[in-house]
Amino acid sequence: MAVDQDDLARLAIAYLERQHWYSGAAEPAPPAHAEVVAARTIREERPGLARLVVGAGTRRFQVLVGWRDPSELSTVLRGRESAILGPVSDGPDQVLAYDAVADDELLVELLAHVTGGRERATLVRRVPSLDSHASVVYDERLFMKCYRVLDRGARPEVEVVLGLDRVGFNALLAPVAHWREDGLDLAIVREFLPGALEGRLLALTSLRDLLAHASGREEGASSDGGPDAGGAPVVADPEDECASAGGDLASEMARLGATTARLHLALSEAFGDRPASASTVEDAASALGGARGEGATEVAERVASVDPGAAGRSIRLHGDYHLRRVMRSEVGWLVAGFGDDPLYGASEGEVSRPGRRGSPVEDLADMCNSVHRVAEEALAQRPGSETPLASELARAWERRNRSAFLEGYAATEGVGRLLPRDPSVTELLLSAHELARERRYEATSPDT
Amino acid sequence: MDAPADQPAPGARPHGWHALDDDPRWYERAVFYELVPRSFYDSDGDGVGDIRGIVEKLDYLAWLGIDCIWLLPFYPSPLRDGGYDVADYWSVAPDCGSVDDVALLVAEAHRRGIRIIADLVINHTSDQHPWFLESRASRDNPKADWYVWGDDDQRWSDIRVIFCDAESSNWTFDPVRQQYYWHRFFHHQPDLNYENPEVREAVMAVVRFWLDLGIDGFRLDAAAYLFQRDGTSGENLPETHEFLQAMRREMDRDYPRRMLLAEVNQWPADVVDYFGDGDECHMCFHFPLMPRMFMAVRREQRFPITEILAQTPPIPSGCQWGIFLRNHDELTLEMVTDEERDYMYAEYASDPRMRRNLGIRRRLAPLVDNDRGVAQLLHALLLSLPGSPVLYYGDELQMGDNIYLGDRDGVRTPMQWTPDRNGGFSRADFARLLLPPLMDPVYGYQAVNVEAETRDPSSFLHWLRRMLAVRRQHPIFATGGIEVLPADNPSVLAYVRTGSGDAGDEVVLCVYNLSRFAQAAEISVGRWVGSRPVELVGRAQFPRIGSDAYVVTLGPHGFYWLDIEGRG
Repeated sequence: MAVDQDDLARLAIAYLERQHWYSGAAEPAPPAHAEVVAARTIREERPGLARLVVGAGTRRFQVLVGWRDPSELSTVLRGRESAILGPVSDGPDQVLAYDAVADDELLVELLAHVTGGRERATLVRRVPSLDSHASVVYDERLFMKCYRVLDRGARPEVEVVLGLDRVGFNALLAPVAHWREDGLDLAIVREFLPGALEGRLLALTSLRDLLAHASGREEGASSDGGPDAGGAPVVADPEDECASAGGDLASEMARLGATTARLHLALSEAFGDRPASASTVEDAASALGGARGEGATEVAERVASVDPGAAGRSIRLHGDYHLRRVMRSEVGWLVAGFGDDPLYGASEGEVSRPGRRGSPVEDLADMCNSVHRVAEEALAQRPGSETPLASELARAWERRNRSAFLEGYAATEGVGRLLPRDPSVTELLLSAHELARERRYEATSPDT
Repeated sequence: MDAPADQPAPGARPHGWHALDDDPRWYERAVFYELVPRSFYDSDGDGVGDIRGIVEKLDYLAWLGIDCIWLLPFYPSPLRDGGYDVADYWSVAPDCGSVDDVALLVAEAHRRGIRIIADLVINHTSDQHPWFLESRASRDNPKADWYVWGDDDQRWSDIRVIFCDAESSNWTFDPVRQQYYWHRFFHHQPDLNYENPEVREAVMAVVRFWLDLGIDGFRLDAAAYLFQRDGTSGENLPETHEFLQAMRREMDRDYPRRMLLAEVNQWPADVVDYFGDGDECHMCFHFPLMPRMFMAVRREQRFPITEILAQTPPIPSGCQWGIFLRNHDELTLEMVTDEERDYMYAEYASDPRMRRNLGIRRRLAPLVDNDRGVAQLLHALLLSLPGSPVLYYGDELQMGDNIYLGDRDGVRTPMQWTPDRNGGFSRADFARLLLPPLMDPVYGYQAVNVEAETRDPSSFLHWLRRMLAVRRQHPIFATGGIEVLPADNPSVLAYVRTGSGDAGDEVVLCVYNLSRFAQAAEISVGRWVGSRPVELVGRAQFPRIGSDAYVVTLGPHGFYWLDIEGRG
């Protein structure tokens, strides 16, 4: 007795075609024909579980299909009815097939399968994620990323996580199991640290504390706020104000810089490094492209004159390194995500793709730009009346935390080997990449 | 002091109180109250607080709801280090009272269900102690080897100098004996030589003397430094542990239900060694937790606390941490990194007079700018984190400090009982007082005192008393496990205390807003789907926990203690 494979395949393809992201992903154009190119039953008895790979043009998609007696489904799916694929025959019985990611019991089964029976769990929590994969937390200690949109070669995220783990880089959520079949990376299970929070939230907390100083001072009250304080200038020294704010983030950013340096050293150990080439410099110059405005032209000219031989090393980059990709946990900073979403490319710009090589300065520029963006985000949340002062404080916050991050990075033993020997070249390349990122943001921002 | 109108009759206890019981593990549930005898209450009008003064104020302490008084040193002493320079272990400083007074205090406290522990300074004595006077007199007298002597000051040169503000070396030359003596603290506090069995036996005799008098235990001062060995830091040596275990064995054999509380200002992973396998000290102070609590509030994020919890190893059964917000010493910064220490200095002690050694000498209220919300938040943390809380006298009133007094006296000003002369501390002329009471308009005794706060039902004193009562009703706060729960807002700290109590399994969810702004957070409490949390103080029901993350909103510096097993 077995579920009808043809039915399953037909339903799986129809289900895929109903997903709004499918047509976008099946580039270059929605294919006329999709077919199941690989299938494997993981569990025969009900609730059943099978893994199907659908081919559509050059793309590959994974659909995890579960099936149960129709009477059970309403309690299993609990509001996730859009996961139903449709009826399918299972021997003499009629069962309902559905996207197995909606079924806690099957997700637990899947975990056991992916980990070769080493891991079991009782509590399942789905985490909202990009459409290209499903994210599931087990017992608040394991995290499975189950890919829907598949890469035909090695998936960069899997490759980099396994590579970093191999060389002993411990500032990441360690891989626990890796599911690869039919030449495709299907899922990865990593440890999960429940208390960890993305860096952006810490940055916003810090900015909230600082910018609150701006409240009520635009009208001229002094920082002490006494009734006779008079209309003195509002901020004597924004840098001091940042340093003395309760929520100062600089020490955290310095630690993040050190973690980033260790990441780069580990990437270089795991995937090798080589001298920066002419293209490293050209990347920086061309990234600036048609950037205009104060400083941009000059930076572009100076970058073009940099000797590639003095531009440091080229390593495998993180490629999409920003404050959402790093997490603060009880054991310090972790590099949490490696940003290889095939649907969207890099989320903060198109130039970066994981697996790409280049100067480590590019990742640093990503993070510095992220520090700038989060300051802008916090600023946008303040009332308009505070803007001039808040903006002054936000700029000072940005300078302080950017410096702390870069100093924490540079102070890490061994990392100097990866950077240009001349610090002014590092600073120049960094400026170029930061300018380029800002320019890209402005070009794509709906407000500009 | 006249009993305030709403103060219960003498000897009455708050709801849920158990009279002094036979539980040998009483210290695991106890709330400690640290007081400076000379600063608490002056019973004989000589300007100095005394032991009989404490006896007179026992009803107040019973009313407040504390379980154990920790007495700072009351031994005869030249008082060059707040009494931690003992000149005679067998008696009481005349201005504090007598051994008979201590016996009376023990009896009267026990009658009210309160225990008494005393400071025991065994690492060193005063240089005025007869043992040292004899030892220094020659190189061949009977006590010649009772202290650590050397011909030069080079041995153990790697061992750090703790009081680095005041001392440049751990050795001081003695012109009488023409040798150097070893001291880990001030030069007037020579270290006893624990290599000498006579010293070990003499110290054990001191221990037996006070236990025979009925004292319930000791806070062991500077317990980490008893022995020295070449090539070591001179701290936490195996010989030190062996001595403490021998002391424990003797106490277990002859003095049941007594306890040892170790002062070991080290990182938790090293401190746990002082619990042994449950056969050494009953309690140890958890030093790094305290600055982290302050830091979390200033940073408005939880990681300073959750980090240190994650680095705190489990402890053997029958052992307990001692946790505190402030004490008679400085806000200890030895346990934070240099960078964080700079930060704490910058945040909490912009005035250099507030700094001392590696700490900050402030009381809690001025340390948090007299912010009642922050003080309540910090106390709620203190009462709900794993460990037995140790309150510092006067902090229940939000007393202030006097940074202009020398040494650590700034936080040892007289307890403020009434708005009357000398704050009700003493009938003596003001000029006779050992330390002047606070008289400033914010923290002075006319504004801040026991009488006023007991009459004001919304005072901090009443608030704290209620919280102590709530804590007492839920022994899980004392003995339960702790698990930090994920919350999606860095300014929100959430953890559960779990365990089995008299009424079955109990789970209390504690949620804190570390920010001065209102916050919301989603907390992962999926394991308790279906339960209906009940807030422990007001017994208000909260929304039932559903399958989605639980959303909690908190006012500035707000917190909740929620019973989520639904027993209400």
